[in-house]
Amino acid sequence: MPYLGSEDVVKELKKALCNPHIQADRLRYRNVIQRVIRYMTQGLDMSGVFMEMVKASATVDIVQKKLVYLYMCTYAPLKPDLALLAINTLCKDCSDPNPMVRGLALRSMCSLRMPGVQEYIQQPILNGLRDKASYVRRVAVLGCAKMHNLHGDSEVDGALVNELYSLLRDQDPIVVVNCLRSLEEILKQEGGVVINKPIAHHLLNRMSKLDQWGQAEVLNFLLRYQPRSEEELFDILNLLDSFLKSSSPGVVMGATKLFLILAKMFPHVQTDVLVRVKGPLLAACSSESRELCFVALCHVRQILHSLPGHFSSHYKKFFCSYSEPHYIKLQKVEVLCELVNDEDVQQVLEELRGYCTDVSADFAQAAIFAIGGIARTYTDQCVQILTELLGLRQEHITTVVVQTFRDLVWLCPQCTEAVCQALPGCEENIQDSEGKQALIWLLGVHGERIPNAPYVLEDFVENVKSETFPAVKMELLTALLRLFLSRPAECQDMLGRLLYYCIEEEKDMAVRDRGLFYYRLLLVGIDEVKRILCSPKSDPTLGLLEDPAERPVNSWASDFNTLVPVYGKAHWATISKCQGAERCDPELPKTSSFAASGPLIPEENKERVQELPDSGALMLVPNRQLTADYFEKTWLSLKVAHQQVLPWRGEFHPDTLQMALQVVNIQTIAMSRAGSRPWKAYLSAQDDTGCLFLTELLLEPGNSEMQISVKQNEARTETLNSFISVLETVIGTIEEIKS
Amino acid sequence: MSASAVFILDVKGKPLISRNYKGDVAMSKIEHFMPLLVQREEEGALAPLLSHGQVHFLWTKHSNLYLVATTSKNANASLVYSFLYKTIEVFCEYFKELEEESIRDNFVIVYELLDELMDFGFPQTTDSKILQEYITQQSNKLETGKSRVPPTVTNAVSWRSEGIKYKKNEVFIDVIESVNLLVNANGSVLLSEIVGTIKLKVFLSGMPELRLGLNDRVLFELTGRSKNKSVELEDVKFHQCVRLSRFDNDRTISFIPPDGDFELMSYRLSTQVKPLIWIESVIEKFSHSRVEITVKAKGQFKKQSVANGVEISVPVPSDADSPRFKTSVGSAKYVPERNVVIWSIKSFPGGKEYLMRAHFGLPSVEKEEVEGRPPIGVKFEIPYFTVSGIQVRYMKIIEKSGYQALPWVRYITQSGDYQLRTS
Repeated sequence: MPYLGSEDVVKELKKALCNPHIQADRLRYRNVIQRVIRYMTQGLDMSGVFMEMVKASATVDIVQKKLVYLYMCTYAPLKPDLALLAINTLCKDCSDPNPMVRGLALRSMCSLRMPGVQEYIQQPILNGLRDKASYVRRVAVLGCAKMHNLHGDSEVDGALVNELYSLLRDQDPIVVVNCLRSLEEILKQEGGVVINKPIAHHLLNRMSKLDQWGQAEVLNFLLRYQPRSEEELFDILNLLDSFLKSSSPGVVMGATKLFLILAKMFPHVQTDVLVRVKGPLLAACSSESRELCFVALCHVRQILHSLPGHFSSHYKKFFCSYSEPHYIKLQKVEVLCELVNDEDVQQVLEELRGYCTDVSADFAQAAIFAIGGIARTYTDQCVQILTELLGLRQEHITTVVVQTFRDLVWLCPQCTEAVCQALPGCEENIQDSEGKQALIWLLGVHGERIPNAPYVLEDFVENVKSETFPAVKMELLTALLRLFLSRPAECQDMLGRLLYYCIEEEKDMAVRDRGLFYYRLLLVGIDEVKRILCSPKSDPTLGLLEDPAERPVNSWASDFNTLVPVYGKAHWATISKCQGAERCDPELPKTSSFAASGPLIPEENKERVQELPDSGALMLVPNRQLTADYFEKTWLSLKVAHQQVLPWRGEFHPDTLQMALQVVNIQTIAMSRAGSRPWKAYLSAQDDTGCLFLTELLLEPGNSEMQISVKQNEARTETLNSFISVLETVIGTIEEIKS
Repeated sequence: MSASAVFILDVKGKPLISRNYKGDVAMSKIEHFMPLLVQREEEGALAPLLSHGQVHFLWTKHSNLYLVATTSKNANASLVYSFLYKTIEVFCEYFKELEEESIRDNFVIVYELLDELMDFGFPQTTDSKILQEYITQQSNKLETGKSRVPPTVTNAVSWRSEGIKYKKNEVFIDVIESVNLLVNANGSVLLSEIVGTIKLKVFLSGMPELRLGLNDRVLFELTGRSKNKSVELEDVKFHQCVRLSRFDNDRTISFIPPDGDFELMSYRLSTQVKPLIWIESVIEKFSHSRVEITVKAKGQFKKQSVANGVEISVPVPSDADSPRFKTSVGSAKYVPERNVVIWSIKSFPGGKEYLMRAHFGLPSVEKEEVEGRPPIGVKFEIPYFTVSGIQVRYMKIIEKSGYQALPWVRYITQSGDYQLRTS
């Protein structure tokens, strides 16, 4: 950071540091050094006094030493040649009688991060590993990892690795844990530190001596260990049992994960473990620290995906408190949504109802959407609440309620009547594009049941000139044409006006094209219009499929207690995807640390991403149009063979996707309307051997990726992989065209 | 877990102090943190975890500071947050208060502490008592060369140093139960739980072995004393020093304690209890003219007990003025910066019922933004009483020198998150 006058400051400090009078007075000398560090902390470039600071390191005052070493570590990469001069002092300090000084010097020397330092630090590290003070051994062990990182990815020093493995038996618990950490770093190319039976058992026995960081770390390393027999497995579980009750949330989570992974063949053990961590997790959910509370809530949601009723009896714990931050409230609302059952639905809805009038518009809207979600199961009660909310005549509430209604009518046609009765009057309280679109769609599709529908639409037609959102105009065109079919007398005149406006005056090309298209369609004749516009008005099957199939615990156990549940799986996939892209970019320096982060992307995914689309082996047969009924039956009877997520940003036209899929002989069975959230599509394809591929595409609201689930009626991995790569190519191409 | 670097930022996002532990994430990445935070806040999508490119920011806010850990790995989130809290705790013990000023004034110690707390992105020595043995605040005092290594750094029992000496050997045991309560606007109890903690203040010489006996139901059933009055504890959590295996086997709580203050254990009871202090309130708002508040408080605990320092805070509109109060006992005070009336009652015996009336004026011009409906909060402390009825039956102290030590026990019930919603 350039700073006005920093040169003068450097000059002055340099003079002071060289002044023999100051050097003679220890207190003054240290004060000058403190000033250097203070400026360094403030971001001034203090590298100009490097020589003088190196000299100051030769002191008996340990605080001064610390400051000088800190300075050296900061500026060594800038002044590598000068820093070499300091090595001498550091080496001398590495054999100081005071272990604190030895440790400090060794730690600083290993942190210099400049080329050429390796040859000097090797011997001090080796000495440090055999030091009698554990403080020095701790530093030396981590120093091995630092030295390895400095080398780049050069070969592994076998002798050093052996030495570290033998130090796993050290007296000092932190030395043991540091050994694991260090070995993991050094051996990351070979898959990290090996946990064999003797090591695993040794670590298990030392567990209670470790601090919470060590325990969490060891639990994480033990994930790698495969017990030989069932007996051994249960012995380990028994031994670790008490850690499920640890006071550190990190250890509890770590232990839970280990249990889930070790017991992956024993679903009842897994369920039992999840029952036992219920208490600690709930406690964390009401913990005073917001961040831990947030993390716990994310994990609760994860567990609920597999065990929907798991926390039902504790639903009151997820009621929001007034002062909680937004992110916690939103998570709690999501959790409440998933906990609903016949017994608590009344109370949960009552509570959510209270949130709908919260001062924060975002929170209120989230609560309304949540009620909309519950409405798929408990339709009548929810529609009633939502209708009451309309009575408040609040803009931000009305718009979301109408959007919820639109989705609900599509999924649960039985509530159409109630929704239609609630709609009149809403138009006065809707200003935003999303809300208007939803309202217009409802009026168009169910207009024959809403007496004043034509008049509401007429208002929109009157004001179409001042309408700012093209999407609203498009929706208006379609809706009015639909309504014209059922109530021609009332609509004919304004339809004419709207079409005239759209064709003659509208500037937006898409709206104009849509207008022209409808105009020409009307010219062809009313029967043709009916054939094209009278699509089904609801699709309850989508609502049925919406219910998450019970996902097995094993599908997320390996992600438990990482960042994945905290971000949300889908969001995480985009992050790691764009990280992956960055990694491949040759412009960027290779980040060695990234390679070590093994579990970032599941192994099989990584391969698939890199695989070039090769559809040579796969021959999809054209024109295998399945009926929707047959598709649904087959879909429900099969298991998901493959699931993955692709990045997907912004809006798009489903028709384009449908066309593109058609080209590669993938048929579209059903598809949500453009812009609806969640957006879904069901695809089918068949290859020349008669193997069926059924696919679901899903765009979640607010997420920028597409979830793909593929089911196959014959399990064959090669064809599945080629099918997926075909699908990926198509979706990738659309994504490119779009942007 | 592994953090690449730790930053302490001021409110504006400017780094006050930072420590690059691993060197695998460029330190300049922190510049993205504040804009990202502001952007997310505007979108209403703020979370304690933010990402920029391949860097994840895990952050927490403490007074006017942000503590941020960066990492590029798929780290263990709860552990990273725990570490940040631990860091805050350590700083607080050193500087009393952790804020921008104290960081600026003590940057040397902050650097020293950051150096010891973590190495290469891994937590090392995080116990503030042990740190205090070799990083001292009187750093202006010059020590020449002989700064010793505290034995704890190399001890087998990492939480206690050897050679501690007291003239008078004593242990103070505080059994504290906090009541969390959430009551709906219509008066139905949504949530009521008790979080208990047992805190110890240890002034004992040498390496004493302690054993604590409670009226634990499981223990009583094990030993066939189930007729005695006992308490069922849930979610029991212990300090690191307690031998968990022994507790699992025979419910014995045995340990070598750290020196000074620490929390030995915590537990939870979710048995429904009657709210100890019950509040009924009527808040009537006459637009453009006035607000009238009537609050009735009732002590629903034993007549022999007395609640001390009762503070009932009742929300009032932010534009209210000219307060007038009438209370049957205690005093009421208007705190405009928090928009509440605080009614304090020094001592509140069980079974009693008190009343407060408040009257506020409202401006004739109504202000535009809508206000939330903050709940009524209650603070209190009832000494010599536990809701659960937990009892310390004995505390055995055995040290090889054979000294006599005295245990002192104190019971307190206090309010935790005690809220009653208003309509």
